[in-house]
Amino acid sequence: MIQFKALLLKELKEAFRDKRALMVALSMGFLMPVVIVAMSKFMIKQAVETPAIYVKFTGAEYAPKMVKQLKDANILAFADVPESDKKLWDKRSVEVIIPETFAQDLQEGKRIDVILRADYSEKSLAAPLRRIEREVRNYSRSIGYKRLLVRGIDIKILNPVQLQEQDTSQPSSNAMIISLMLGLYLLMGAFVSGQSIAVDASAGERERNVLEMLLCQPVKTQNIVLAKLISSALIATLSISIMLSLTTIAVGFVDLSKIGASFSLDFPTVGALMISLVPLCFLAAALQLFVGFQAKTFKEAQSTVAMLVMVPTMIPLALMFIESKPDWIEWVPVSGQSLIMEDLFKGLPIEWATLATTTLLTFVAVTGLVMAMAKRLQSEKVIQSLS
Amino acid sequence: MLGRHSERVIYVRAKWWGLIMIEVNNLRKSFKNKKQTVVALDGLSFQARDGEITGILGPNGAGKTTCLRTLYGLLQADEGYATIDGINASENPLGARAKLGIFPDKFGLYERLTAYEQIDYFASLHGMTGNDKKQAIERVIADLDIQELAHRKSAGFSQGQRMKVTLAQALVHSPQNFVLDEPTRGLDVMSTRVLRNYLNKFKEKGHCILFSSHVMQEVAALCDRVIIVADGKLAAQGTPQELCELAGETQLEEAFVKLIGSDEGVAA
Repeated sequence: MIQFKALLLKELKEAFRDKRALMVALSMGFLMPVVIVAMSKFMIKQAVETPAIYVKFTGAEYAPKMVKQLKDANILAFADVPESDKKLWDKRSVEVIIPETFAQDLQEGKRIDVILRADYSEKSLAAPLRRIEREVRNYSRSIGYKRLLVRGIDIKILNPVQLQEQDTSQPSSNAMIISLMLGLYLLMGAFVSGQSIAVDASAGERERNVLEMLLCQPVKTQNIVLAKLISSALIATLSISIMLSLTTIAVGFVDLSKIGASFSLDFPTVGALMISLVPLCFLAAALQLFVGFQAKTFKEAQSTVAMLVMVPTMIPLALMFIESKPDWIEWVPVSGQSLIMEDLFKGLPIEWATLATTTLLTFVAVTGLVMAMAKRLQSEKVIQSLS
Repeated sequence: MLGRHSERVIYVRAKWWGLIMIEVNNLRKSFKNKKQTVVALDGLSFQARDGEITGILGPNGAGKTTCLRTLYGLLQADEGYATIDGINASENPLGARAKLGIFPDKFGLYERLTAYEQIDYFASLHGMTGNDKKQAIERVIADLDIQELAHRKSAGFSQGQRMKVTLAQALVHSPQNFVLDEPTRGLDVMSTRVLRNYLNKFKEKGHCILFSSHVMQEVAALCDRVIIVADGKLAAQGTPQELCELAGETQLEEAFVKLIGSDEGVAA
């Protein structure tokens, strides 16, 4: 016990004195809430407001009424663009071409081809183009309706079936943007925060020739590994606690009611999140230490550990594409926690049995890794590579 | 069986007299990889006694570090055994290490800890606590005259200062046996003298000191007994004087070259 306390205390002292590694570890916690708020504000703005669109009209004079309707919907002529946005809209170059014969064709009841020309692969244009399409369609439909009315036909015959949409999602699941981002960031935070500390405590110590001295002491290798694991996992836990508490505060500054959503992190949710994330911090630390002890040099360890980031980013992504999820996915480390977090953010009740199973399985994996490392530190290969 | 038995008798007697503290018996160790097998130790045997400084002298690659690592229980011998105060290092490595103060081949310091914290760390690893630990740390700091280093972080320490801190952390638990693997490598004259004086003081207190080295002058000046190792085997042993006589030379260096039968890998 005296030994273990000394081992752990030393690891923590070193971790907290390594200013740069600590900064990297905690910066995720501090930065993520800011990113989340900034991005959600931006997305809400995009979803709610109808910013001005500037279109290069050709033949606007042939269809003044349609152009007027577009103008009412804040779709304006390129000539009116303010100087500051001129370059942008010139580059985007959204063209609407109205044929010369517009008025005549309209009178004769012929089909009129209005051309909308733009780069459809440009993401930022997706919303403006959709708006132009909608407005033109509305204009066209209103004329069509009038034609039917004039002929004494009820326009209802055009819509024999009407779809009534009823959304059963909880109000909080409308805040999908925030919860998706937060879920991913929390997983990333758990996996990335302790990274530099774990690599430093394993490959770094070997490179600085302090590992041999430690292995020569009357200490079980298992305790050495365990102390390093706890220290690195604690830093990661600290980072995600900061991330969660700051996000709880920060989300208050985003007006989610604009998109008809609510998002709050209450105490039980935060508690359940921590219960599912802390085991992941340990799993991440164990994986990082394993890689660190396995690598021949500090540099090698750093590059291999960087690949571990794929685990938290790829698994939730892969889960999205699996349509009928087999049961075991709920139990496997990382994917299990990812699904539980998804449910939590949707406001669904917590399935404690599933949470307990995945937590248990995560700790089984951690124990396996610790035992493998303890054995490896006794192996001749490691001893021989010390010098 | 008989040979093993009589060895045992000799060992028990020697232990009864309290002489042999570190014993290496018929150690064999080879390292295999896909392409080749390297024999590092080929039946090496020697003893180191209390109240004496025993030097292991050998060219690079003779098996010195492998032998010492077997002694620490880091490597398992293919054959033979190594004991410290009668404890078999491969069977009970933790027990054997508890009896040892170790100054390893390559030593580094924890850059972000102060010298005092490092010594404290190693004292705790040996199970020391409270006032005993505090006194032991203060004693070893005073002995090595590193009071002004004690509360500085070890990043930026000179090689000599690093050696002193490593020495302090190896000796803080006052081990009966002290093993050093090429401790003077990279040290200047002043630091070497500090180390030498300290080892002599330690010897006078009746401790058993085993150290490996390349440097002839140092071995000649410091060691009571010298063990010459070549190709993983014992080439010769005795006092520096006896070795010179054995080889018919006046200088230990000449004797050494003659005894190992080659001048390859000798660094003075």
